[in-house]
Amino acid sequence: MHNIKHKLLIGLMVSAGLFSMQSIAFDFGKALEDAAKQKIDEVKNGSGATNPEQAKTPVEIDAAKNAAESGATVVPDEKAFNWKNPSTAEEIALGREITGSILGAAPLVKDVKLQQYVNKVGRWVANQSERSDLPWKFGVIESSDLNAFAAPGGYVLITKGLYQQLSNEAQLAGILGHEIAHIVQKHQLKVLQKQQLVNIGAGLITDKFSKDNKLAKKAIGSGAEISARSLDKEAEYEADRMGVVLAARAGYDAFGLPEVLQAIGQTNKTDNSVALLFKTHPHPDERLTKLGNSAGSKLDNLKAGKTLEDRFYRLKN
Amino acid sequence: MKIDLNKKNYLRALLLISLASPIFGIGGEAGTALKADTLRLTPFADAKSVGSLSKNDAVDILAKKGAWLQVTTQKSAGKKSTGWVRLLSVKRGGVSSSNQVKGLADVASGRAGTGKVVSTTGIRGLSAEELQTAQFNETEMKKLESYTLTPKDGQKFAAAGGLITSPLTYFKGAQ
Repeated sequence: MHNIKHKLLIGLMVSAGLFSMQSIAFDFGKALEDAAKQKIDEVKNGSGATNPEQAKTPVEIDAAKNAAESGATVVPDEKAFNWKNPSTAEEIALGREITGSILGAAPLVKDVKLQQYVNKVGRWVANQSERSDLPWKFGVIESSDLNAFAAPGGYVLITKGLYQQLSNEAQLAGILGHEIAHIVQKHQLKVLQKQQLVNIGAGLITDKFSKDNKLAKKAIGSGAEISARSLDKEAEYEADRMGVVLAARAGYDAFGLPEVLQAIGQTNKTDNSVALLFKTHPHPDERLTKLGNSAGSKLDNLKAGKTLEDRFYRLKN
Repeated sequence: MKIDLNKKNYLRALLLISLASPIFGIGGEAGTALKADTLRLTPFADAKSVGSLSKNDAVDILAKKGAWLQVTTQKSAGKKSTGWVRLLSVKRGGVSSSNQVKGLADVASGRAGTGKVVSTTGIRGLSAEELQTAQFNETEMKKLESYTLTPKDGQKFAAAGGLITSPLTYFKGAQ
């Protein structure tokens, strides 16, 4: 049972990986939102409401069948995930599953000082957020991609490839601020909720099935699959705006994140590490422009923050 | 420029670091206006206007101060003018940051084809396939969890670095 759960989550993560590969942003949540919208349309267009079978994807039919077959053997203590109003504990449990699987693909960099350093910076930036109560965890993973991940409940991972390109603590704070914003705003979770609620509304999940975690997770998996092709830019822009503010609140130079975006914007479009980014994501220039328009004059007279390059932890290689 | 994600400006970055002002190190770097904006005499929103930038204007970035960059315009006609403009109105790099230009630069610096982080570090990327076959790793997760800090730990760290919080409300989205 545990195995299945993980497999399903891996499906979810594949798109998470794809999306965050595109940038320092974690986008699978927004992508899922598109999937949910698509589903709503399906239902609205008639087929779903009157004939649920038609609205089902093969995966869902399969899931429903499996759930039906295993209905009698559902472990009684396996409680339903409360999609309507998940507790913080449930949020963390979901994020743990996702993050643990990413770690299965790319383990933590074996450098305790590095991990501790990133946790200090991240913790301090997260303190400035509305969810400082979460047990925030930050990690640098062994991957050369330029990439960062966020998962519900306070999990943030940044790739070694991205970390190595940074030159000061304010830039790190900016990136972590962006990821923290995704979690604070529950960007991924909201989309997963929608997907679940839509499924329930469309009669795809009966009461009995909705108590089955496996089915819930199967729905996530298929949703992520579909959504790997499209994404909502707005949550991305929002995370940029909030990331800058969180870093500034923490006393850092507010322009760490823009600096990173500036640099990504100069990356050759033919470089594999950004090919997907430039194809399916708002271009960094676009993100900078949006950020500038949103900031307006609000940063003009900001007290100069710190960049702290001197204490920035540099990797040996 | 200190951050060098694409590794293509490595030599330039080195040069710049050596010439750099301690704050930023971008003196002399090329930039491009992301939108129309006013050039001002001093880095303040109410400072006297000394010119304007149109979208895609090429500029030379001379200095950074807080939210502002000092730039010189490179308009081919008309005279050059120098002034301060909001940092977020300008992106680094020339107007035609096209592949061709970059490609030529790569060839010139002998870095063509080797710019990728993957090939230089020997560390694998994180592909969709790898994620597909990935298994939940409890050991790594436990390790990650072991690094969890309290809000107080964060405060101590901030104090050690002289970081002082600054109240700032989130921005609303703009069109």
